[in-house]
Amino acid sequence: MARFLTYVAKRVINYAVMIFVATSLTFFLASAFMSPRSNYESRTPRPPQESIEQSLTANNLNDKTPIMERYTTWLKGIVTEFDWGNSPTGTSVNSEISQRIGASVKLMLLSTVLSIVIGVGLGVYTAQRQYQWQDRLWGGVAALFLTVPTVVLAILIVFFAIEINSASGMRIFYVTGLSSYTGDNVLLAFLDFLQHILLPTIVLTIISAVGYHVNQRTYLLDEMHADYVRTARAKGLTKKQAIRKHALRASLIPTSVNVAFSIAGIFTGAVMTEKIFAIHGLGEYFINCINNNDIYGSVAVAAFSGVCTLVGALLADLFAAALDPRIKMS
Amino acid sequence: MSSNTQNTEAALTVPVDDVLRYELLESNGPKNAPTGDPVMSVRDLNVSFNTEAGTVHAVRGVNFDLWGGRTLGIVGESGSGKSVTALSLIGLLDDNAHVKGSIKLRGTELIGLTDEEMSQYRGANISMIFQDPLSALTPMFSIGDQLAEALKIHDPEMSKADVRARCIELLELVGIPEAEDRLDSYPHEFSGGMRQRVVIAIAIANNPDIIIADEPTTALDVTIQAQILDLLKVAQKETGAAVVLITHDLGVVAGIADDIMVMYAGRAVERASVDTLFARPGQPYTMGLFAAVPKPHMPSNTRLVPIKGNPPSLAAIPPGCPFSPRCPIAGPECFKTEPHLEALDPAEGHLVSCLKMQQIRDQHLTYKEVYPDLEPLTPKWAEVPRDERPVVLELKDVTKVFEVQSKGLIRRTKGIVTAMDKVSFQIHEGETLALVGESGSGKSTTLMEIMDLAVPKEGTITVLGKDTRDLKSARERRELRRDLQVIFQDPMSSLDPRMPIYDVLAEPLRAQHWDKNKINRRIGELMGLVGINPDYVDRFPSQFSGGQRQRIAIARSLATNPKLLLLDEPIASLDVSIQAGIINLLEDLQTQLKISYLFVAHDLAVIRHISDTVAVMHLGKIVEYGETEEVFNNPQDPYTKALLSAIPIPDPPVERTRLRLVYKDGELVPANEVHV
Repeated sequence: MARFLTYVAKRVINYAVMIFVATSLTFFLASAFMSPRSNYESRTPRPPQESIEQSLTANNLNDKTPIMERYTTWLKGIVTEFDWGNSPTGTSVNSEISQRIGASVKLMLLSTVLSIVIGVGLGVYTAQRQYQWQDRLWGGVAALFLTVPTVVLAILIVFFAIEINSASGMRIFYVTGLSSYTGDNVLLAFLDFLQHILLPTIVLTIISAVGYHVNQRTYLLDEMHADYVRTARAKGLTKKQAIRKHALRASLIPTSVNVAFSIAGIFTGAVMTEKIFAIHGLGEYFINCINNNDIYGSVAVAAFSGVCTLVGALLADLFAAALDPRIKMS
Repeated sequence: MSSNTQNTEAALTVPVDDVLRYELLESNGPKNAPTGDPVMSVRDLNVSFNTEAGTVHAVRGVNFDLWGGRTLGIVGESGSGKSVTALSLIGLLDDNAHVKGSIKLRGTELIGLTDEEMSQYRGANISMIFQDPLSALTPMFSIGDQLAEALKIHDPEMSKADVRARCIELLELVGIPEAEDRLDSYPHEFSGGMRQRVVIAIAIANNPDIIIADEPTTALDVTIQAQILDLLKVAQKETGAAVVLITHDLGVVAGIADDIMVMYAGRAVERASVDTLFARPGQPYTMGLFAAVPKPHMPSNTRLVPIKGNPPSLAAIPPGCPFSPRCPIAGPECFKTEPHLEALDPAEGHLVSCLKMQQIRDQHLTYKEVYPDLEPLTPKWAEVPRDERPVVLELKDVTKVFEVQSKGLIRRTKGIVTAMDKVSFQIHEGETLALVGESGSGKSTTLMEIMDLAVPKEGTITVLGKDTRDLKSARERRELRRDLQVIFQDPMSSLDPRMPIYDVLAEPLRAQHWDKNKINRRIGELMGLVGINPDYVDRFPSQFSGGQRQRIAIARSLATNPKLLLLDEPIASLDVSIQAGIINLLEDLQTQLKISYLFVAHDLAVIRHISDTVAVMHLGKIVEYGETEEVFNNPQDPYTKALLSAIPIPDPPVERTRLRLVYKDGELVPANEVHV
């Protein structure tokens, strides 16, 4: 156990260094390419030069301040107060992100869980029926969704939802936002949430379930023909038992690695889907930051995704080690 | 028919047909004739698969019976149907297999049972030991769990304590020390031999009636092979089971089998008691197998006799006797009708499937008459004695250590592994030196060092008079490398499947900047040299058989006229009947071209046949080095003695009685005094 904890501690320290370097590089890149000054200069009427300088300096965004000075100010803010800086308009990046994480998690959590369950389930189901009609059918469906771009799929689903709405004469599906109910009834609020979340969840579930399905099918097929499955059958297990007890476990090792990374994805949101369904999550925020020359917003999102990815990597290692005794934690 | 056999028949409760009647006469083995009812009867077994190449008839009308306590050896090459036969007994064939005929286990018909019904018998009545112990156990589960599963699946009521006790008992039985502690170990913490012991423990867990062992020792080193074969005998004694041993190695069956069935192209072509079969093989194919295999226990003075051609494709079996295209005594009738098993010697139940049986019986034909071209080996040292020839390769005190590093940011050296410890040997022009050793002995490292023209930390490697330390430029290395070529074990993966043979052969020549005309001429020469029709140069490797591919690999290595060939297990992946052809080719090439060979192999019989000198490696050291005959007849080092005593000898009386020695902590102990 002690060895395991030292291992995790070592990894975390390693990752912290990596994130620091990556985030600092992002800071310099963003500062070099983004010009918050133009946000002010392009306003009509153009504000007086003095007030532009003042606003920029107040938000530590003034390109006339030496870059190292801005960097140390920014870094000091993070280290002492965990303050990730302000946008050019003066709003705090911290509050922006904390508001949006909730929306992203709501959107992603459900679809991630669903896509894993459905995708892995389908993979197992079709692998056991290789080349039978069920396998071919689902293989065809997977191929279709792999080739359709997210945007097209989302718009198609929105189109059908609106058709259903107008056919039934009721607003069954909402196609924008995450809530529109303002009353106090918890049940109605929840129903309202479901009406909003359903369509984006379908889109996101389909997109990632296809990946899990195709991969899980391949992994299980590889393991199903392994010698040890034959040994298990020779002991007296039926083919189904041998696959369930022996092959499935081995085939879940690579899947668990994918799952670990997707857990990290829950917190960083989905860029396209959020944009189309007008959900104010982190994915949308990232695009807005880049469009609006929001240096600190972009850097913060990049740093946050970095942390999530590395947490995912650590989780992936832990999952693999838990499932496979050949992997040692040292 | 004698009164004796009628008595045996009377003792049976099952109806006696011709198959059984002859089997009851098979008495020329260590256990005499079988008695009582057979536990399993296989009649007219036919297995076919639908594949893209057409219907493959893998097994065609095989009959046999199994008795508790007796061992049936099924001998054959790849594609003979022996493994498919075994898998159909236990119901583990692929789903696309069509099985016809009858397999009866104590009167119960097994063919036609569903997977669920068959699983009642698997493990409980019929169990199986597989070829590759490294992949036969589930890597994610502990040894104890996998053993316990075999018990619990047939007896879910068994208490936890009982299961544990039985698991420990089983592991002790198969010779795993500290059995109780090892229950929680995982397969990767065991060596190959140990894993095979665990697989055997699983196989005997429920005291089965039948144990099927499919090439159980092919993947193992020779000393481990001997231990596992001993263990198989223990397992049989313990369970009283009938054993079916499937192998391509005649030496392996000689010591362990009671009855032998030889298979070819999906059919049994010969069947007899073990001593009868080895003493008087009656079918040309069986005779050919004996002629093609070098004998590990006697010096060779004749060339091996390859069986010409290749086994037929089971998707397109030619009419007539399937062996007829390769048979030296085949007559016109052999190409028309397919023979069936008939009695060559009715008194002994010796059955042979051959249309020329009458002639074989009347003239007492043996393989010497059937395969008449047993030429004597050409004397190699006639022109120039060996010691007067130039030394082509010399290693002097070469030491190679691998550092084991710790992980983390700062990599510290935790320890060292000595892969080569003061290795010295030399090879003269036209000489064959065999490097012998088991896995982990350092022979592959030695080969790699020579191949890389490495500069060792200690000692010197001298190739063709040039010390690798003195090689200054890349050009000098390249030139030296031209004279040093290598041939790998698997001709399937060592030839680029997307290159026609022409390009395979031209590549080394183009690298030496030959012009096109010269290359064309050379390729024609090379194809002739290795015995492949030069018209085939535009074919791809996949269009050739394994033996032909190895010939092409040899041709490729000869392209630049090398002085020294490094051969890394060049025949290990080939069938017995094909091996002989490659060995003969290597011998011919050596006489013609005066090339030297460094031959790495684990098959000691082949080594005795082909090599002039032998270097035995053990734990990175050369423990014995000398003339091949001297080493084989009068080994000095205890490890060499143990290694040589472990070779299975294809001669049943010799194999059954010889004393096997075990090397243990530097000392030699007779195997029967060691706890297996």
